[in-house]
Amino acid sequence: MEMFLVAVGFYGIGVLTMLLPHGMQRAAHWLANSAALFGSAVCAYAAGLLLFGGVSPAPLTWGSYSLGCDGWSAVFLLLTGIAGVVTSLYALGYARGYEGSRLRLLGGMWCLFIMSMVLVLLAGDAFSFLLFWEIMAVASFMLVNHESEKRATWNAAYQYLVMASVGTAAIMIAFLLTGSASEGFSFAAMAKNTLDGSWQHLVFVCAFAGFALKAGLVPLHVWLPKAHPAAPSHVSALMSGVMLKIALYGFGRFMFSFLPAWNYWWCVAVLLAGVVSAFLGVLYAQMETDIKRVLAYSSVENMGVIFAAFGCGMLMKASGSSFYMLGFVAALVHAFNHSIMKVLMFMCAGSIMHGTGSKNLELFGGLARKMPYTAVFAFVGSLALAAIPLTNGFTGEWLVLQSFISLGTSCAGQDIRLWTAVSFVLLGFTGALALGCFVRFFGITFLGRARSEIVEHAHESDKFMLAAMGVASVLVVACGLYPLPVVRAAMLALGMPVALDAFGINLAWAGVGTAVCYKPLLLLALLLVLGAVLWLAVRNCFVVEDVTWNCGTYPTQRQQYSATGFSKPVRRAFDYLLKPKRQVTYMRKEHAYFGRQLSYKLEIPDMITEKLYQPLQKHFVSVSNFLRRLQQGSVRLYVAYVMVAMMLVLVWGALYK
Amino acid sequence: MILENELLQLALGMAQAVLLLLCAPLVTGIVKKVKAWMQNRIGSSIWQEYYDIRKWWGKPTMLTPYTSITFRLAPCVYFLTTFAAACMLPGFLGGQAGFGDVFVFVYLLALGRFFMAVSSMDAATAFGGMGGSREVYVAAFVEPVVMLAVLSNVLHTNSTSLAGMSLRMDEVNLTVAGVLTCIAFFLVLLAENSRIPVDNPDTHLELTMIHECMTLEYSGRLLALIHWASQLKLLVFLVLFAMLYLPLDLPVVLKVFIGAVAVGVVETLNNKMRLFKVRVYLAAAGLMLLLAVVAQ
Repeated sequence: MEMFLVAVGFYGIGVLTMLLPHGMQRAAHWLANSAALFGSAVCAYAAGLLLFGGVSPAPLTWGSYSLGCDGWSAVFLLLTGIAGVVTSLYALGYARGYEGSRLRLLGGMWCLFIMSMVLVLLAGDAFSFLLFWEIMAVASFMLVNHESEKRATWNAAYQYLVMASVGTAAIMIAFLLTGSASEGFSFAAMAKNTLDGSWQHLVFVCAFAGFALKAGLVPLHVWLPKAHPAAPSHVSALMSGVMLKIALYGFGRFMFSFLPAWNYWWCVAVLLAGVVSAFLGVLYAQMETDIKRVLAYSSVENMGVIFAAFGCGMLMKASGSSFYMLGFVAALVHAFNHSIMKVLMFMCAGSIMHGTGSKNLELFGGLARKMPYTAVFAFVGSLALAAIPLTNGFTGEWLVLQSFISLGTSCAGQDIRLWTAVSFVLLGFTGALALGCFVRFFGITFLGRARSEIVEHAHESDKFMLAAMGVASVLVVACGLYPLPVVRAAMLALGMPVALDAFGINLAWAGVGTAVCYKPLLLLALLLVLGAVLWLAVRNCFVVEDVTWNCGTYPTQRQQYSATGFSKPVRRAFDYLLKPKRQVTYMRKEHAYFGRQLSYKLEIPDMITEKLYQPLQKHFVSVSNFLRRLQQGSVRLYVAYVMVAMMLVLVWGALYK
Repeated sequence: MILENELLQLALGMAQAVLLLLCAPLVTGIVKKVKAWMQNRIGSSIWQEYYDIRKWWGKPTMLTPYTSITFRLAPCVYFLTTFAAACMLPGFLGGQAGFGDVFVFVYLLALGRFFMAVSSMDAATAFGGMGGSREVYVAAFVEPVVMLAVLSNVLHTNSTSLAGMSLRMDEVNLTVAGVLTCIAFFLVLLAENSRIPVDNPDTHLELTMIHECMTLEYSGRLLALIHWASQLKLLVFLVLFAMLYLPLDLPVVLKVFIGAVAVGVVETLNNKMRLFKVRVYLAAAGLMLLLAVVAQ
């Protein structure tokens, strides 16, 4: 426990750098980000020691408040620590771009943000949880709103703040209801609550809504694709990589400790919310042309997959299957892996923005020549997010699919079979669309020829940023090739006995049949040996260099596929969901077919915003307008209200003496 | 001891993959011959594909100045992943490379697809992008159907390893679910291997193609690798079809032959469908599988 306090102390020093005078902003920047780096390293080390060493520390208590740590929070602390180290290293380079625009505030808030996340995970009672949860929301709001001069940023930040408050309100209700049915508000006391049937339903609904909002599940995801692109890149990396997972931590805390008797429909709700989020998230991701929005929607997708696996585990347990742990292990492993790869990709996006000054996919092309290192790192990240074998993205995906297979085979009943089939269809769509999405992301950005001038002036990022991306890439590949430590961490977090195969993940314990395994090292060895043979064959082939064949004309850059064009078939195939609004105007029309100028505008409004939030907002405003009539500021009217109220009281008193 | 056993399995799996690799052009040749007969032509020799590969192998490879290393890497990765997938097939030689199950198999092929689709944008032409974009679109609809086919089979055999999935297929599985799964998998096989009615492997009109469109910029040895890998992929899927899905009690070679003839017949009797009808075609396969899953 003391080590976590040391980490918090580091973050505290970082927060205090905000108070340094303006002239020392550069020193404040170095101090704050190094403090965050060391604090996170200590946090990761302590969590690793706790998880793998099996040390269970005594909680620290001050009156009714306490800080503690168990397996379930340790795995998230580990994740926060690792992501914190990598992103703080990146921030050392990246945040220098904010010199002169509130650099000290950025550094201080950065430390406060990481500190609040660590403290949320350490909180041992409802009040400190809610307190740190709110600090986390406010700190992240300040970071999202850092470039508040921009109208879009300001808008996104306030929408985030409002939605975060709604989520906190829901979580607060859940905590208060649980706490009022137990002897105290510490987690240990709340675990022995005496909630009865219908109250349990209410607690579940509030907790699920509150945490799903933070996790960005559809239809509560609308803040996410706005807030992530608005924030500085290292902040979006940490928000996407860690903050969304904190929601999973909270939800798991409720499900495992406070509401252990799961209703069948709760499990189905979590599962379906997960798979639908996964599918819709990746569908919107493929339509976006803003690189950070692509990544933000991809986070919606991955959180969906994680919650789907969690729901699958819940459903298996509720149906009496003995393989239910597989679902939870899959959720945790995927959460851990996704955290690393999403941090990597947001850092790459930041590097691209840093090098080109833009985040519009349509303007890039051929960046691999200008930013070779970033290209390699982004390629690794793209492979991982497309869940390609040998990267860590596939490990989670494989476990998720295995857990759904166990759901189908180990539980009886046509309904379970239906949920399994629906999940498989949606996960299949998700996998393939994610592949398409990141083929598009990487291909359009880094390959081909430049689509605009900004690419010509692009430059590679500095050493800190490259080092951070390099570390994250190595982690992605290492966890992909040797997934055992991560799987083990997940199993320890869930208190499972650990028995694993030497080469890869062996699922004999999952009981899905004989020899179900995934051995990335063996696969890699095979590919390397064969690759070497193939290389010998292809190496000496005779190469001629010439311009691409283009029906006899020289190709121009404009003839390449654009990002919007690339996703056209998918957009058209799913137009009943996406409802794209396109507007084509003929600017000049000298000839009917040749040499005419077109203006093409495409807008894909978020279906949920349009169908759910806008009507909701409209009704809210009209109710407020109606209420305004009662309160117009006229003193005579208020006197009349008092009169009427008094008369009613008198009449009431006279009638019911 | 365990390690030795594993290496032995791997070696047998590789031997099997090499065998398939050598036979792959022949199978494609048979498909072509069937098509020629159905169209009242004599057609080229069934060995023609071997001649083509040898011809391309000796030709120079042409590269454009904009291409990056991805462009040269992609055919090799495509070839390697298809070969590795072939190693994983349930062992008709008695061995099988034990590095994964059916999901690893599916995603291994996705690795090759990722590289091919990415490299299609590398030569900076409209044709490449067109192919990549369409490939990604077709894949988006193929994958859920593949997943359902896997699920249907797993519910029957209770294992996700390819060997485990084929174990109980010795018995004749002429149930409703078995037949539906078989038909649906055949439809997927056509889509996954860029055959008519989803794609046309023979045409040279760029605008109608998907797979050929992606590979338009390739020449020489790299093109030979792509073609050979595509032929191997078709054979791998035919073997899977034969061992896992075709509910007949016949030797594998005969079943693969039946599959190849069926591909030729279907290709002759159908037109290539419009790109946006592909989703309807695959939805039909998906619905059949959904019925099979429920009827299982």
